[in-house]
Amino acid sequence: MCVRITAIVVALIGIVLAGMVEPARGANQAGADTSGDVPRLTTAVMCEAIRNYAPVHPAVVFSISARKVSCFTAFDAVAKETFIYHKWYHADQLSTTKRLYLKTPRWATYSSIQLREADKGPWRVEVTDRNQQVLETLRFSVTD
Amino acid sequence: MNRFIAILARIRWQDAIDILLNSYILFRLYVLFRGTHVLRVIAGIVLLWIVQRVAVYTGLIITSWAMQGIIAGATLIIIIVFRNEIGNVLQAKNLRALLWDFPHRRNLTPVQILTEGVYELARRRIGALIVLPGRDDLEEKIQQGIPWQGRLSREMLMSIFWNGNPVHDGAAVIRGARVDEVGAILPLTLRDDLPHRLGTRHRAAVGLAEASDAMVVVISEERGQVSVAKGNQLIHIHDNLELSRMLKAHAGIHRRHHQGPRKERLELGLAAVLSLVCISSIWFNFSRRLETLITMDVPIEFKHRDPYMDIFDTSDNFATLSLSGAGALIKSVRPDQVKVKLDLSRAGVGKNVFNLSERNVQLPPGIHLKRVQPSVVQVILDKPIAKMVAVQVDWSGRLAKRLIMQRVTVVPEQVSVIGASRELRDISTIYTQKVALGGIERSGQLMVNLALRQGTLKLSDGYEGKVLITYLVHPR
Repeated sequence: MCVRITAIVVALIGIVLAGMVEPARGANQAGADTSGDVPRLTTAVMCEAIRNYAPVHPAVVFSISARKVSCFTAFDAVAKETFIYHKWYHADQLSTTKRLYLKTPRWATYSSIQLREADKGPWRVEVTDRNQQVLETLRFSVTD
Repeated sequence: MNRFIAILARIRWQDAIDILLNSYILFRLYVLFRGTHVLRVIAGIVLLWIVQRVAVYTGLIITSWAMQGIIAGATLIIIIVFRNEIGNVLQAKNLRALLWDFPHRRNLTPVQILTEGVYELARRRIGALIVLPGRDDLEEKIQQGIPWQGRLSREMLMSIFWNGNPVHDGAAVIRGARVDEVGAILPLTLRDDLPHRLGTRHRAAVGLAEASDAMVVVISEERGQVSVAKGNQLIHIHDNLELSRMLKAHAGIHRRHHQGPRKERLELGLAAVLSLVCISSIWFNFSRRLETLITMDVPIEFKHRDPYMDIFDTSDNFATLSLSGAGALIKSVRPDQVKVKLDLSRAGVGKNVFNLSERNVQLPPGIHLKRVQPSVVQVILDKPIAKMVAVQVDWSGRLAKRLIMQRVTVVPEQVSVIGASRELRDISTIYTQKVALGGIERSGQLMVNLALRQGTLKLSDGYEGKVLITYLVHPR
């Protein structure tokens, strides 16, 4: 009887210990395999400003009088430090490229451009990973 | 000399026909009007023209101007003054006579019969007035003539001018061997230098001779004197030989007898050569001196293009040609006679550069290319491909400040466009036409046309040129 009880206790302890150890191993495996993984984009919006690490007035049309427009992106499942790109296109022509770093495990980042009179027209921002894979395309217009 | 040879080398078959045709017209004019005053007056006008050209060349402004005026007036004067002679040539003759025949100078008049008849009348003291027309039309100068149409004979003359004949006071008009009219009334001369002894019959003879080229034989009733009126002269005839000689001279028999058919042929041949020389000189004058320069914009024709390739762009679609040639030829150039062609048989995908030269220019004969612009033409050829591209709204104007446009969706989100592969390589978005923000107060939908680049892009089959926009707006 004692032996059976002991065996059960040992088994339970083993189960408990196994349950405690498994997450650590999973994390290690993830850490080992994420060198080629893509961070998951959870939020991507164009906005008038960034306040308290959050986008202010997300929109698709911006007045030139706002003088500034920002592209806000948030990621989770960032396994290791990496970087992404915000590629700004004006009328289908590449205007500027911003390289932005991501840190584990979740990270939010943004880029902005100053608006000038000549910037009126249709825009898009392509959010790409470090390998130039397009994660999201945001389209907006700059108007009067 | 080289220039002359160059001009000869440029002669077209049309020019040869032009010269020959006009030479023949000039020659026919000579044939039809030879022996008349018209030809002499035309010769005078030609002389005036030469003087006018010399005056222009030497800078005599007023002389040149005056000669020009005289020549212009003289042309009109010829038509008015010689209308009868011109009319005789153009109306009295048939088409064959105008174009081909070589008319004899006059109808032969039986001189012997006429001479004998005249002297028989003179011997019997029978007054008579006999008209022998020249080339002038006497219809308007002779009045109230009675048609006679009788064969000329000595007896016929005696009968006409016999005192008992009702028409004996008038004139008899003799054409060839026939008495055409009798009892004709001739215009009287207004001259006051004629002797007083000469009566109305003589004044009538002089009157008609002054007004025409006719010869009028007049026989005095009182003295039996035979006289001949010709031009401004009234000549008293002393014997029948003198009369015979004058009649022959008037009829042209004397001249023809001496000249003979061989000499006449020589004269006509010389006239033909001179006509040819004259017209050729005029033609060379035109072709050499009236060199005219014009500029034409001609569309470039692109030929022999690979059927699997399209022309997507060209640096120039028109060539500006500077053309030279005789003024008359330049004026007659039609746009469809001038072509600029580019051979694209060796052209490939991408930018092709062609030199534009006279080898690419097709011109009508007699027209020469001085310059062609541009000298280089770029042609971009490409094979058309289809590509899926995103559609984006091109907003314009100003959205109300209290509103934010939060989201826009476009249906369809993508369209397939066809265009040059080189061009489509750089295109990932097709925009709509400008959509005004001004009137937007709340969320809604719009149908909007796509703004495709004219001529270079088009939508694939199955895609319309319109998209549905759904927009969401919120207050700030």
